Formats: sequence, structure tokens, C-alpha cells
Amino acid sequence: MAEWDTYINIDFTDMPEETERVAIIRDLTPGKYKYRSTYARIVVSKDAAKYPEKLWVRLGRGQLIPTPCSMKILEFTSVIPQGL
Amino acid sequence: MAYKYYRDNRAFIEACVKTGDAVVVNEEVDWDLEMGAIVRRTCEKKGPAVLFNNIKDYPGFKCVGAPIATYRRLAIALGMDPNSKVPEVSAEYLKRTSDESKAVPPKVVTKAPCQEVVLTGDDANIMNLPAPMVHDGDGGRYIGTWQFVVANDLDTPAINWGMYRQMLFDEKTMVGPVLPFSDMGKMWHNKYQPKNIPMPFAMVVNPDPLSAIASCAPASIPEDAFTSLLMGEPVEVTKCVTSDLMVPAHAEIIIEGVLVPNVTIDEAPFGEYTGYRTSPREPRTVYRVKAITMRKDPIMAMSNMGIPTDEGQLLRSFSLGLEMDKLLRSQGIPITGVYMLPESTHHLTVVGVKPAYANIATQIGQLVFGSKLGPWFHMVVVVDEKTDIYDKDELIHALSTKCHPVNGIRIEKHGVGTPLNPFASPAERKLGSAPKVLFDCTFPLDWAASDIPIKVSFNNVYPKEIQEKVISKWKTYGFKD
Repeated sequence: MAEWDTYINIDFTDMPEETERVAIIRDLTPGKYKYRSTYARIVVSKDAAKYPEKLWVRLGRGQLIPTPCSMKILEFTSVIPQGL
Repeated sequence: MAYKYYRDNRAFIEACVKTGDAVVVNEEVDWDLEMGAIVRRTCEKKGPAVLFNNIKDYPGFKCVGAPIATYRRLAIALGMDPNSKVPEVSAEYLKRTSDESKAVPPKVVTKAPCQEVVLTGDDANIMNLPAPMVHDGDGGRYIGTWQFVVANDLDTPAINWGMYRQMLFDEKTMVGPVLPFSDMGKMWHNKYQPKNIPMPFAMVVNPDPLSAIASCAPASIPEDAFTSLLMGEPVEVTKCVTSDLMVPAHAEIIIEGVLVPNVTIDEAPFGEYTGYRTSPREPRTVYRVKAITMRKDPIMAMSNMGIPTDEGQLLRSFSLGLEMDKLLRSQGIPITGVYMLPESTHHLTVVGVKPAYANIATQIGQLVFGSKLGPWFHMVVVVDEKTDIYDKDELIHALSTKCHPVNGIRIEKHGVGTPLNPFASPAERKLGSAPKVLFDCTFPLDWAASDIPIKVSFNNVYPKEIQEKVISKWKTYGFKD
């Protein structure tokens, strides 16, 4: 199970679950690439055991929600125009 | 004539080690929070700079932290005695920079230390640089904390060197705020972006100390020319490998690329210079990397912003205050000096003035708040010419005794400000709006002389001969100092 985190600018209780959405997630694998960010289409559950990826959630100013969620990554995406 | 200065930051840090103003850490340290915690602690203790020689995951790289977070190190950077007092350092800065006609363009060199290694294509991977995770909870690793960005205007020869933070996003992408009232912000938001033109940039990581000071200074001339005033000779620059931008030749690392128009990526939160993590994660400007050039044994740099005092607070306070000094003198205001307290995170400035006419404090407030410097601070305290502007005890005494709680406080509700003000409401932050306040600590001129309170101090209420007698016999009385 890989570990990721993400930021939300809303209350944790309002975080959408079980719906597909695009978010920025950060890879928490130790090493040089730790904290590498990427856009991805994901589905999140507050049930830590439901999906294969562990997802930690932080609020807008960095406050860590102490219990992890789980996440399914459907695809990685990008917002950078081609050629740049 | 050239002043004594350090051509690169490694020579400067070496000098700081010799005076006890920098320490060298040879033990392995983790770029993930450990380096940040060390630098934060030394900033809070007003301690030395730190050179990390052994960084986990990044053999061959070093990193310097808190390079100019004290006035001692600022004095060293200016080639002065580290024991120089703040007014002496200020006077030296004003002496070198007040006559802008002496500024000269940079000297272009073709062989530059900052291009000993050139990486392009897939090799230009910013995750191969030891960008630190500065604070726990930050939105990413901050590669740009002690650096500046070089940019050229789209349709004029204007250039800008400015310290704008950058968060590492992925191998090729950085993100950071480019505020619309900043010099680069005006180029980017008013010219390049509306025309959908990528703007070339060069990020100068770990520059020489005087170029770094110049990049923090809100001067009215280009920063490369301003650097020549500080150095007393032209700063050496070299042409970038992917654009015509010129960068200081003796920097450690250069990251080249373009700002991507009309695309944003969420950036932050970040522990900011105000001492808080104020601005939330928000869509910010995107920097796309095309090349990395560097020395063979490159030294990364980091500033750890937080509660006072870090170099951002110190240098911005220093240069903002002294640029205000120049502005007020240019308008003929009889000031004795301007001092912006670093502890105020460059939000509070003290102006000493001879109260020559009515409402002079109001005029000072209008001038400084209305200038290009205005968005960066919101409190001005005006004291009379007898108050030592550098003495915090005198400042507090003047503020709490001479400033009338109604008549002495003037408020402007709708000033220009930054989104980073911790006191600002979410709406004010979003708009970049900030109230401003002036504290007039001068006694009104229309009071009769007999109505003006007399300051009761050793220097003010004893005859000169008694003062001299007491001072000369002080140790005889039994006092140690």
C-alpha cells in the first residue's frame, strides 16, 4: 500500500467520498522523490481499508487529519500544455 | 572603487565561520524537516548561519541555511566589522546607494562558475536538487527560499531580480505566488499572460550576498545596477543557456525555464515571513523548467521563514526602511532617520522627525503608505528628533505616553496590502487589501511651551556638569558598569 497525502480547503467532514474527482496528491514514498506532486483522478473513502492506496488529508493551512483515508487512483493527469 | 565584498556566497560563509557567525555541520542531516528545524532554531536563537556538508539522499551537494539572518552577518556581507551597530550599517548602505547616478551596468562574462555543469532535457530534473521540506505541513518542498528570479519585461528593457518563493511540484514544475503589485507581477500579469506568451525566467539559487540584498531592495533602478552600488564595481553576469536573461556569474545554481501563461497549480501553505502559515493552498503561477546550470560542487541555500528573525525579515526591514529614508529626504522632510524593526516582520516602521510644522506625521504616513513600498507594511510610528529610533524601550515609552489614543492615531481603511497579513480577514486577503495605521508620537505644535510635558531622564533633567560628575564617578560609587 503506497502512501499519499492531499490538501483540502474545506472541513474534513465535508470532504466528498465515493465520487470521482481530480485532485493533487503527493507521493510520500521516502527518498529523493518524496513529496512529488501530481494531478490524478481519484476516489476517496474515509474507510482506511476500502481502497488500495493510503491517503492522509491535510487542511488548507497544513493541519493533518490524524486518521488516514484510502484512495483509488483512476488515472494520472496534468494541466501543463504540451510542449512546455 | 570597489568596496570589500564577497564574490560568492561560499566565500561569505567562510568569512562567517571565521568570526563565529556560521557553523559547519558534517554529520548527515535529512532534507526532510531536519535541516529546516535546525535553521529555524538558530533563527529563533539569533544564532549563526549553518553550512550542511552531508545531506541525506543528495551526495555531492551542500546547503547553507540562514545566511544573513543577523545584523552581524549583514555587516560582514557589506565588508564591515561584524560588531558594527545598526545605525552604522544603515549609514554605510545609504552612503553606497543614495547616489543612483553612480550605478553601472553589469559586466558580462562568458565563462561563469554557475555554468560549470549544464543540464537540459530530462537531466534538468529539479528533484535532483536537495530542496528542503522546510516546515511540517508545508504544501511541498520549497526550492526557492534564498534565491531570486530574473525576468525581463516584454516590451521594454526593464529587468527584475526579485525574491519570489517557489514550491517544487514535480521534476519539471515549480509553483509560487507572483503578487500583482510586485515588479515581476506587473510584467507577468499585465503583459505576458494577457498575450498568452510564456515568460522566460532564471532562478538564481544561493547568489552572492550583495546581489541577494539588491534583489530584496525596493530600489528605483534595476537590481543589477543597484548591486554595482553595493559592490562599488559592476556585478559579473553571464547569459543563460536557454534565454537571453543575464544571471550573476558566481551564483551556485541557476534554474531556467518559462512561466506558463493562463495555467495555475495549487501552492502553499507555507510558513511565511509573518511568522504564520497564513495564506491557504491556492492556485498560483507555474514555472516550467528547461535547464539547470550549477557549479561542480553546488551549495543549495535555504531561508526558514517563521517567527523572527530570518533573513527575509531582516533584509526587507533594512532595505524598506532605508528606501523610505531616501524617499522622505527627497521630499524635504526633516527626518532624523527611519528604522523598520525586523521583529515586526517588516510591518512596523519608526520615523524620527523634527516636528517643523503641523501634521508632519500625517504627511509622512501619506508619502510612505502611498509609495511603491507601501503594500509591504501597515504601521508607521512617528517620533520626535530626540527619540532614538533604534531603541525599543524609547519607542514603547514614546508610543504609550505621547501618542493620543484618539487624536494621535490615523487610520486608512483601504490600503494596498499582501494576502499574507495574518490579521486580515479572508476577504481582505483575497483582494490584497490592508488597512494602514499611523501613530503620531509628537506633541502638537499648538500647545504652549508651558503645557508641554518635560521628559524625565538622566540626560534631560540634570545639568551637564552633574551628569559628567556622576558618569566620571560611577565606578567609584560602587557600580560595575
